[in-house]
Amino acid sequence: MLLDLLQNTIDGAAAGASYALLAVGFTLIFGVLRRVNLSYGPAVMIGCYAATWLHLNFQSGLIVLALAAVAGTVLAGAYVERLCFAPHRSGSAIAAMVASFALWMQFEELATLVLPRHVYAFPLLHEGAPVEFLGLSLRPDALAVLGVAAILCALLQGLLHRTRFGLAVRATIENPHAASLAGIDPGRIFVLIFALASAIGGIAGFLIVATHGQVTPMLGMWATLKGLLAMMLGGLGSLRGAIVGALVLGQIEAHSQWFLGPQWRDLVAYLLLFALLAANPSWMTRWTISRSAS
Amino acid sequence: MAPLLEVRDLVTAYGKIEALRGVSLAVQEGSITCLLGPNGAGKTTLMFSIAGILRPRRGSIRLGARDITGRAPHVIVAAGIALVPENRLVFANMSVLENLRAGAYQRRGGAEIESDIERLMLRFPRLRERAAQNAGTLSGGEQQMLAVARALMSRPRLLLMDEPSLGLAPLVVEEIFRIIAELHRDGTTILLVEQNAHLALQVAQHFYLIEQGKVSFSGSPGALAEDEVIRRAYLGSAAR
Repeated sequence: MLLDLLQNTIDGAAAGASYALLAVGFTLIFGVLRRVNLSYGPAVMIGCYAATWLHLNFQSGLIVLALAAVAGTVLAGAYVERLCFAPHRSGSAIAAMVASFALWMQFEELATLVLPRHVYAFPLLHEGAPVEFLGLSLRPDALAVLGVAAILCALLQGLLHRTRFGLAVRATIENPHAASLAGIDPGRIFVLIFALASAIGGIAGFLIVATHGQVTPMLGMWATLKGLLAMMLGGLGSLRGAIVGALVLGQIEAHSQWFLGPQWRDLVAYLLLFALLAANPSWMTRWTISRSAS
Repeated sequence: MAPLLEVRDLVTAYGKIEALRGVSLAVQEGSITCLLGPNGAGKTTLMFSIAGILRPRRGSIRLGARDITGRAPHVIVAAGIALVPENRLVFANMSVLENLRAGAYQRRGGAEIESDIERLMLRFPRLRERAAQNAGTLSGGEQQMLAVARALMSRPRLLLMDEPSLGLAPLVVEEIFRIIAELHRDGTTILLVEQNAHLALQVAQHFYLIEQGKVSFSGSPGALAEDEVIRRAYLGSAAR
């Protein structure tokens, strides 16, 4: 029993780590642009499809596939930014969101046109059996995901709080007008943040498909849902909150799957979000990324 | 002597409504020039047009020899104009120190920036006390000082100040004006929008009265018409 709990916690942490990267990407875009980008997950899916295509046609190594996933996601992200967000920068947030939904559909169509089968195998990060340790089974690839996520989050924290670029990003998040009066070009910051968030999404996507061993067009919706859910659980708009929200989401899923069965897995997470909002309606409006490190 | 700032026939509109209807003015290097006029006369619109937040429809704005009409705000900061906006707009969730560093965003050379911060902390001792605090926790007067200090961090050739006394207690207003006088003594060129015409005319060398989007009167304080100017600055000519 205790061992099961422990095992669930470890599995949940690994899943939570990959959700954390998705949630961090979402939060960066939301924090800077104050816009929800529904195409974030589908752009990640395009990156993973680019990697899959390379794998199928050239049997490229994992490093190349990871780079392809990042490059594909950043390209798809740039397309989304130009079409959905650049034209609506000072205009309607709803228009930008609806436009990003339209691109989501485009991305799914594109993916199924290029690779029409529903499922493609993706090379695993680590082949072979999990390591047995004190009765627990530890998957080396899951540990790698945890490690990469932790390093990326730490780097991002450093970038935002210790560099000139980070200062400009946080100033822009606080108030784009005031930032431009300080000599910062908010338009440039928007584009760079979009690229950064997409690159993080690409890494997340690669890690996810390389641990699951498969790619489907459903990855886009899946990534958008997990990222949004984790971001909302964490209180919308704070990076630390998004990371905590993602880790909590991983735990809820792992434990509810074990105790209640797989069909309860997602439901419990949504119920928790519902309960959180019902109990504390201001939950999503109290945080911001720009806060000083203290 | 050619003026540092020269605005010519400037027209800025919000949709169909022209808030500025052909404003011309000049600011001499090293002077304090103030803009007076009733609410809604177009003073803030003029400041926003000069700072690049609003794009003028017609006319030109020159800083020294350079035409900066319609350029983006960050380009205008780089050209040498810094605006202290009306509601201060400090970065509330960032520390006082970070606010100052953000003001120097266009500049290179960390050592020089740090020594400028050190100098501003001497001028604004309250900011030193609160250096690590988030700007949002500062009082209104302290935020105003931070906004001025942040603008100075870009080492502007021209400082635009929009209603620096707005909503502040009389003692704090006095302090702000003492700082304005100090900046002037050190050679900073200032274009000041101020509701408190009495105070403004005490520090300014030149003033423009703006009414309904146009310059209706200009001159130097101390001239005969001063009482009339002050009356119109508060009430507008419609109250005549």
